[in-house]
Amino acid sequence: MATASQRTFVDRFPDEAAVVKANFLVAFVALGIGAFFGLVQTLHRTNIVRVIDSADYYTMLTGHGVLLAIVFTIFFLCGFFHWAIARSLDRPAESKLFSWAWFGLMTTGSALAAIAILGGLVPNLGISADVLFTFYAPLQAHPIFYIGLAMFIVATWLAGADWFLSYRVWRKDHEGERIPLQTFMVLTTMIMWYIATIGVAVSVVFFLIPWSLGLIPSVNPLLTRTLFWYFAHPIVYFWLMPAYMMWYTILPKLSGGRLFSDPLARVVFLLFLLLSTPVGIHHQYLDPGIAEGFKFIAMTNTMFLLLPSLLTAFTAVASMEHGARQRGGEGYFRWLGALPWRDPAFTGMAFAGILFAAGGFSGMINAGMNINYLIHNTLWVPGHFHLTVGTAVALTMMAGSYWLVPQLTGTKLYSRPIGLLQVTMWFIGMVFMSNAMHRAGLAGIPRRTAEPQYQNFDFVTPIGSIFELRVQIALGGTLLFLSVVLFLFNMLLTSLGEESDRPVDEYLPAPLSGAEGSPRILDNLTMWTGIAVLLVILAYTLPVAAIIQNGGGLFGGGLPVPATISAGLDLATTALTGAVNTLVGVIA
Amino acid sequence: MAVDSTAEGSAASPALRADGSGGVPADAATQNSSSEPPVDSIVGTADDGIVRQIDHDDFDPVGTLVLVLIYMVILLSMWVFMYFIEFLGRGLTVVG
Repeated sequence: MATASQRTFVDRFPDEAAVVKANFLVAFVALGIGAFFGLVQTLHRTNIVRVIDSADYYTMLTGHGVLLAIVFTIFFLCGFFHWAIARSLDRPAESKLFSWAWFGLMTTGSALAAIAILGGLVPNLGISADVLFTFYAPLQAHPIFYIGLAMFIVATWLAGADWFLSYRVWRKDHEGERIPLQTFMVLTTMIMWYIATIGVAVSVVFFLIPWSLGLIPSVNPLLTRTLFWYFAHPIVYFWLMPAYMMWYTILPKLSGGRLFSDPLARVVFLLFLLLSTPVGIHHQYLDPGIAEGFKFIAMTNTMFLLLPSLLTAFTAVASMEHGARQRGGEGYFRWLGALPWRDPAFTGMAFAGILFAAGGFSGMINAGMNINYLIHNTLWVPGHFHLTVGTAVALTMMAGSYWLVPQLTGTKLYSRPIGLLQVTMWFIGMVFMSNAMHRAGLAGIPRRTAEPQYQNFDFVTPIGSIFELRVQIALGGTLLFLSVVLFLFNMLLTSLGEESDRPVDEYLPAPLSGAEGSPRILDNLTMWTGIAVLLVILAYTLPVAAIIQNGGGLFGGGLPVPATISAGLDLATTALTGAVNTLVGVIA
Repeated sequence: MAVDSTAEGSAASPALRADGSGGVPADAATQNSSSEPPVDSIVGTADDGIVRQIDHDDFDPVGTLVLVLIYMVILLSMWVFMYFIEFLGRGLTVVG
């Protein structure tokens, strides 16, 4: 019989645990630096404390966005996926060397991009990348920023290949069996990511790198914007799907219950695979070079995309309720009191879910073509995504770390009370900052601005005052930074702790409703991939053709002409015919 | 048998849960009914506080229904608020 300590992940898969730990380490370093930049920004733009020059604000903003939204999230999710594949397939990765290779490439790419960004703070260095997280033209970065990004993206592709390889080998020994749920979630997320990153790869490799090296004189700015958003809306789901994976497969256990429905979880992840990508144009409602009809199609797709998130809300809450009732909870509301609120892993994820529900509302406002005009490019938008990626994802990842890291180190969490304080501070800080950002956006205060204070003009808010909003934003941002400090402190001392026989309860119970009764077609990943590609072709062929035709060709240079929905129809027809034939071939 | 979707492999399952009871300790009925583990205990031990096992057919998530309905009411009222305050409150908007 296995001893108690052998039950821990690190004892069963020491090599994989090392890779996961390395990914988490890079993620947490990026989290610390990015959060510090966030603190500087929040105090600067609210005019509470200004320690940097306003011109450097954009360097900080770029560092904050790239380090948190790309480096922290994606390193963490790669570590999490590596853990999930080994755990759910119950087998180590096929090649330790290959795993370290993609990790090394990702780290090198991130370091190059970070050097390019931080170079902006060093005068006369000649290296900068003040292009913000949305790194499309006409803003231009030093070539090593784009080269670093390209290496990073390729490394994520290799990481996905690592997990697909594990699945393929597992499949040989398990013919006819259903894909384990966590593996299913990793694979569908990675397929979505492969489709989505084509856009940024084309943008960076064919346009931005040659342009920054001076090999081509200009780019078609709307084309690079569109390719960026083709990638940058699905990246939202690349962040969210690991968080959802924790809500589906870990949160029920942390609640003392079981997942309500495995088939429903599979349906949700397939819907994300299908619908995440053909919606990017909803970020471009105010771009004049794209016809309104295309924007309307993107809006319709986006509204469909609400469905899997609402399904997730139901399943996650129902699973928590199951746990509460197993722990003795009763009544319509009193069961909430039976949940394990003293466990920071549970409480952090529950808080993340609560704020995500609020983010769902502001996301619906963003997604509406007409009402979007109210809040486009205002502080409302950062208010929204600090609820989604900044809380639903980041807080879930931090809360999940309290349960995952002890599995990797074999040591107990250093302090549960500090963990509880940390997730609570995040929740309170974000309530302050995000609600004030939303309200400031309604008052018209712009985003991406170092000094949103203007002479001879005052913003007016119907309730409260602009001063009150600034104080809320600064207070919230400070609490969030302190929360990150507490988190990193707890993680550091956990990793330095003494090994324990039972560092964490890592057992995951079976779902209430298992996969065995669900249609097997849910596991036909080839077919779902084909449909996802078809939807992308349908949504993007006409707009991209029009952008190339009206914007002076692939590399721009000409004067733009007004967009019409009929442009590029012949090209589109040809592409569509080809896509349909391909799909028919795949299904047949 | 179909692969269980989230449950641990046998190597990982604590012996007391290897009874097919869906993750409930064999002696669940005799567990201490205290709903909270000690503050300094390990993470993820909520199932130590399980006092009864509820299977699929016995579980009726009415609490979830209530919360979802409340969320929908909030969403609808905020939409109405946005519509009246931000559109009708600012006069006619003409696009194009």
